Amino acid sequence: TQETKSEPSSFDFMSYIIRKAESVNKALDASVPLREPLKIHEAMRYSLLAGGKRVRPVLCIAACELVGGEESTAMPAACAVEMIHTMSLIHDDLPCMDNDDLRRGKPTNHKVFGEDVAVLAGDALLSFAFEHLASATSSDVSPVRVVRAVGELAKAIGTEGLVAGQVVDISSEGLNLNDVGLEHLEYIHLHKTAALLEASAVLGAIVGGGSDDEIERLRKFARCIGLLFQVVDDILDVTKSSKELGKTAGKDLIADKLTYPKLMGLEKSREFAEKLNKEARDQLLGFDSDKVAPLLALANYIANRQN
Amino acid sequence: AIRSSSASNFDLKTYWTTLITEINQKLDEAIPVKSPTGIYEAMRYSVLAQGAKRAPPVMCVAACELFGGDRTAAFPTACALEMVHAASLIHDDLPCMDDDPVRRGKPSNHTVYGANMALLAGDALFPLAFQHIVSHTPPEIVPRATILRVITEIARTVGSTGMAAGQYVDLEGGPFPPSFAHEKKFGSMGECSAVCGGLLGGASDDELHSLRSYGRAVGMLYQVVDADGSESALEMAQELSLKAKKELQVFDKYGDALLVPLYTFVDYAAHPHFLLPL
Repeated sequence: TQETKSEPSSFDFMSYIIRKAESVNKALDASVPLREPLKIHEAMRYSLLAGGKRVRPVLCIAACELVGGEESTAMPAACAVEMIHTMSLIHDDLPCMDNDDLRRGKPTNHKVFGEDVAVLAGDALLSFAFEHLASATSSDVSPVRVVRAVGELAKAIGTEGLVAGQVVDISSEGLNLNDVGLEHLEYIHLHKTAALLEASAVLGAIVGGGSDDEIERLRKFARCIGLLFQVVDDILDVTKSSKELGKTAGKDLIADKLTYPKLMGLEKSREFAEKLNKEARDQLLGFDSDKVAPLLALANYIANRQN
Repeated sequence: AIRSSSASNFDLKTYWTTLITEINQKLDEAIPVKSPTGIYEAMRYSVLAQGAKRAPPVMCVAACELFGGDRTAAFPTACALEMVHAASLIHDDLPCMDDDPVRRGKPSNHTVYGANMALLAGDALFPLAFQHIVSHTPPEIVPRATILRVITEIARTVGSTGMAAGQYVDLEGGPFPPSFAHEKKFGSMGECSAVCGGLLGGASDDELHSLRSYGRAVGMLYQVVDADGSESALEMAQELSLKAKKELQVFDKYGDALLVPLYTFVDYAAHPHFLLPL
């Protein structure tokens, strides 16, 4: 059964994700060439090629392959979700938002290029994600599917997705813990983090030719690991140092932000993470057990990551 | 001269006011206030601002109709153009950009909602534009492949080689002729509006090419006329005006009734008060 396959012993996930991330990096590098005006494209490339974990694009490709598609078919969508992720980080770090100086161990975009360029580089990455998805996706994929993918991506990042999470997060700062519940925290994370992971998997499944049922199961899977990602992030923020994380640790506590450890304690947070991992894996029951290995391993990787 | 006589037979005022009323109503419906309400209000504040000329959406609809396209095919894209336009203006006004406290005679978005909400309102309007096109364009009239071309066109227009490039050069300078920022910042939107309308109406590639040059000239013309009344600006306006009208000549075969709206854009731009008492 799937349960017995839960340990990724038979599947070398690290070499899988390194291989996939390499193709993603190559595709990202090629997708945003250095053009005039140089500085704005340098700023876009600085953050886009800063060596993130590429979890979203890998999820997109894995979902596409699970439903029978090719890596190359998913690549424009995979690049698009990473561009969106990058732009949200650039804007998030701005002085008028979280005011962060450090990201992935490097100075943030506005620290290097200035705030004005950082705003524009973010805007440019946002629009370029759509241009790339709409124009670079293989003509083997029917326009009906590509249009559907565009709609899914748009929904994931606007006022029903990322932005909604940001807005509620901003308005929650300084709120009394007794006044907000888990539902409130979950709303933030489902929008701020899970929505884009969800879109990553859904886009991969759509362009890969998945059925509606397959698309919906991958959607649920990604929602679960999205929430899982955030619970683990919150746990790491209170248990690891800045050096280990490559970003400012304990920032959530200083900024008085809501976190799972603060609302439910560290032990219960870990239990919750385990439950989400199980729920995610349940969505994959019934898929071909060999093909499902990368996604199962990805869920474990997110659950067990150390930074 | 030939055009102005036919233009007088065409009830321009009704044409524009009807279209603008309809576009305003569709924009109003496109951004309902939901939870979290603050962000929707910030978006609505800029998109539904009083006194907006709605030039991009009107041009899009007029270009679509020129090729026999149905207005309903163009409306969602027309609204989307207004959304991305508003998003660009909100971000351009931010303190770290042009630091403009006023827009169209009203406090700019960040002055009312704060810089963080203004940033997010812009970030939300870009995807809403694409989402609106995808969910509202009637699939029985417009092929999905055309929708993808429209999305590509709009995305490129607001991106790093379009409006964002113009804004960058405006702020930071660089080895560019003075016309570069101008063309990118103001020409791009006109160009995109005309091309999207043409795509939705089923224009050929050659026709799209003419629409592109026409739209760019009109977009720049609006700005030249708006900016100042200097001798050189007037000369440039004259030049752009002639260029825009020349581009329209290839469409003569479609007949005056459908062409007049596009010609009037040129006159409207050259004389901002010529048509509607705004």
